[in-house]
Amino acid sequence: MFQSGSRAYAPLSLSSKLGRIPWSLIVVTLAIGSIGVVSLYSVAGGAFAPWADRHALRLAIGVIIVVALALVPLRFWIAAANPIFISAFALVALVPIFGTTTMGAKRWLSAGPLSLQPSEFLKIALVLVSARYYQFIAFEKRSRPLYVALPMLVIGAATTLIARQPDLGSAALVALIGLTVMFLAGVHAAYFIACGAIVIGLGQYIWPRLHDYQKSRVMTFLNPERDPLGAGYHISQSKIALGSGGVNGKGLINGSQSQLNFLPEKHTDFIFTMFAEEMGYVGSMALLGLYVLLLAILAVMASRVNCRFSRLLIAGVAAILAVHVTVNVGMVIGLIPVVGVPLPLVSYGGTSMLTLMFGLGLAASAYVHRGDTIRRDELGVFV
Amino acid sequence: MFGQNPEPPNDLRSFSRRALLLGITQTGLFSALGARLYQLQVTEHNRYTLLADENRISVEVLSAPRGRILDRFEQVLAANADGYRITIVPSLAGKLDVVLQRLSRFIPITEVERARLVHRARRQSPNLPLIIAQDLTWEALAEINLHAPSLPGVRTERAGRRQYFNGDWMGHIVGYVGAVERQAMDDDPVLRLPWMRVGKTGVEGGMERLLRGTRGSVTSEIDARGHILRHLDRVEPKPGPDLTLTVDVVLQAKVLERLQNFRRAAAVVMDVQSGGVLAMASIPTYDPSTILDNTDPKAWAQLQAAIDDPLINRATRGLYPPGSTFKIITGLAALEAGTITLKEKLECSGAYTFFDQTYRCWKRSGHDACDFHKAMRESCDCYFYEAARRTGMDAIALMARKLGLGQIFDAGIAQQKSGLIPDPDWKRGRFGRPWLGGETILAGIGQGYVSTTPLQLAVMTCRVASGLAVNPQLVLAQTSPRLQRAQPLSVSAQNLAALRKALIAVVHETGGTGQRAQPEDGDYQIAGKTGTSQVGRASSEMAQSDLAWDMRDHSLFICYAPADTPKYAVAVVIEHGGGGGATAAPIARDIIAMTLDRDPIGRATRDGLGGGSPTEPAGRG
Repeated sequence: MFQSGSRAYAPLSLSSKLGRIPWSLIVVTLAIGSIGVVSLYSVAGGAFAPWADRHALRLAIGVIIVVALALVPLRFWIAAANPIFISAFALVALVPIFGTTTMGAKRWLSAGPLSLQPSEFLKIALVLVSARYYQFIAFEKRSRPLYVALPMLVIGAATTLIARQPDLGSAALVALIGLTVMFLAGVHAAYFIACGAIVIGLGQYIWPRLHDYQKSRVMTFLNPERDPLGAGYHISQSKIALGSGGVNGKGLINGSQSQLNFLPEKHTDFIFTMFAEEMGYVGSMALLGLYVLLLAILAVMASRVNCRFSRLLIAGVAAILAVHVTVNVGMVIGLIPVVGVPLPLVSYGGTSMLTLMFGLGLAASAYVHRGDTIRRDELGVFV
Repeated sequence: MFGQNPEPPNDLRSFSRRALLLGITQTGLFSALGARLYQLQVTEHNRYTLLADENRISVEVLSAPRGRILDRFEQVLAANADGYRITIVPSLAGKLDVVLQRLSRFIPITEVERARLVHRARRQSPNLPLIIAQDLTWEALAEINLHAPSLPGVRTERAGRRQYFNGDWMGHIVGYVGAVERQAMDDDPVLRLPWMRVGKTGVEGGMERLLRGTRGSVTSEIDARGHILRHLDRVEPKPGPDLTLTVDVVLQAKVLERLQNFRRAAAVVMDVQSGGVLAMASIPTYDPSTILDNTDPKAWAQLQAAIDDPLINRATRGLYPPGSTFKIITGLAALEAGTITLKEKLECSGAYTFFDQTYRCWKRSGHDACDFHKAMRESCDCYFYEAARRTGMDAIALMARKLGLGQIFDAGIAQQKSGLIPDPDWKRGRFGRPWLGGETILAGIGQGYVSTTPLQLAVMTCRVASGLAVNPQLVLAQTSPRLQRAQPLSVSAQNLAALRKALIAVVHETGGTGQRAQPEDGDYQIAGKTGTSQVGRASSEMAQSDLAWDMRDHSLFICYAPADTPKYAVAVVIEHGGGGGATAAPIARDIIAMTLDRDPIGRATRDGLGGGSPTEPAGRG
């Protein structure tokens, strides 16, 4: 067929591009997003306002974004990787200067009615720029100290910037995602072992410098019963809500625990609690199952693409998804300390939804153009 | 199969191996999540159900009493009536219909009403309270409180409806409250309480956030039947503060009385220094008390269908072509741009030609030679056609906005309209067509696309009188920090002085179009400008008295007084009232007289902007 010919960029027609779009990915995304709409409808006490309707709208826009981005040639993403990362990085750097402060932390940038959390965008941008970096470095060179130092430096800078907002949760996530891409790119395992050792060493150094609320979150995570009405309140209430849901749940809008106003972030970070209380073990496993399915689809996509860049890009997007789901669910069921991480596609929030859709769009684009291979000299002025 | 640079096989192998490793790790993590969920939701379900039912924590949101609204002299305009209400939280009631049945022994609840409540409870969150009865007296409650232990989920609380005083006069300014619309719900959970009312119009709407106060909450431990075991925490709601308006109810009543003979009219009285609005009248009026909480649906339907739209506050929402009052803008813009000088004389033959199109002066015989002073005094159209043409629409629009037209003010009152100050950019965006020179000429005399509200015209007058960028404000400084001393306008003092002199001439010199605004007695002068704005195209060809009422010209007059030391500005619009000099001018004169008459009563001190004047107790004199 034409994509196996000698030309690297046999241009695909629009219809063949559309045919190659991984529609299963989009269907599962829509299914998870719809669970978000239903949950937000329930959180509002059985009303589409103020969350469910907007969530549905964003979901629809998001799917359009995925399809649109999927049609963009792979070459463009390689060429745009550096500029995109630099803009995202600059946006995060702007937050301390122009950001709005909520609850003692500056995480948001506002422009008129729009406000966004640039640290979310940085995650995708980091995956993109790392994938591009390894596309042009021979496998043998990747573990040389100089070639390891550069991405480490970039990840370190991004992590530090976010940690100082302060948003330790997001900072840890960014570091984890960056390291995952490096690991998949084939950097020698010894580096990661060394990294682990340094983190443990740093822990000794950082602990006395943490904010009080961060310390108390970790402390009450270790023993939530310590203060059931204070910092451990969220975790123990969340567990009571989940546990009382049972196998079949209490039914939509009927979650007695969630519907009481005891969880301040029940439409964002704690939405899984509410869903699990009202839909029971069956519901929560079904939702987790959908995430597993989404990850599996991404894994299959990654195994079918032709070049390093695409493979790392898809794997990186999958990593972002996996890390978010694991940390969020782990948090609300009391396995991980409370760090403000949204549940992808379900939690209410425009930036989180948009960023993930952007990532899925990139993955889809890599898959649609899976026959393409990329040489540096063909990229032209962008690089 | 690969392209031109096939990857080394060890690369792909390494990726697959490592991806597999991560996949296995992730599977392990998901299994851990699943196992934990199994433990919580299946194995330990009974334990947590017990915890949830026997020892759960309920957080109730408390609404704060709404702030009162008072006039400038502390006369109450809006307050909360005394009264009590009974509510029930279904999730705490256990069996809702049983509790309601029991409750009906103490207060009458009909079968229909009971069915309605049960039905309602099924459709909303069981934790949202339902209203069983309201406007009850304390005596009616006493017995229910006595039987509280057998009535789980039932609450009695103090809460009266909103009450309005002097509604006939103050309805447009104070506005009214109504049920929260779903779309208007924001993140404040207090809005989901069924008894919540939020301001819809007027100051109630404009100052909603402040008047609403800050919600409180009660955290308590309750058992499965909704009995409170103990109170854990109580955060008292913070009542909304009382708002004192800049408006003087007595003056407002007098202004309305003066306008009573017209079908549709509006008038605004402002303090030229502080921007405080002393009166804001809109005819016809309505009393919000009659439509509150939909107690009388027929009254509401009637008001909505009424031909003269009494629900609309014409002072902030009525859009009128400013007519010749706009010559203040055109004239000042031309002087500032230097396209005309104060001395230059232009010839008026009664008509003005531009690209084969003839524009007439209102005075068919012409004004002969006009300088700025004479043109303003006698409102010569030809002079301002030429001034507008020379100056251009962009500069005119800039001056209009500088003097307060075409904008909505942060004045503490909801539902203003911005009107329109057209410019070439606007027209290109709206119609996709370029601006025409002839449109500048029409706009120069306040016709064509130009539209303004009476409030904006009053602001323009204030700014001309004081030389400050005064903003209108309905709430006094003590209760709102928003009233601030205005910054000086960036207009040349010399041009402003010439303009003011010309505005005095409008009223006090022979030939002035506003001579009927001359004060009947008193030792002060008034500076003003007439405006007669055309409604239909035909109106210029026929005598006004031959036209149907709703085809006649609008009558406008703006003025300030005393002319040498300006204190108050007035803008009057009489819909279809005919000539500005004939109808609106004498009304404005009377309103100025009334305002100055009320003046000695604690004026300067109350705005907190007296500029060093001695502070004296601000009670009613």
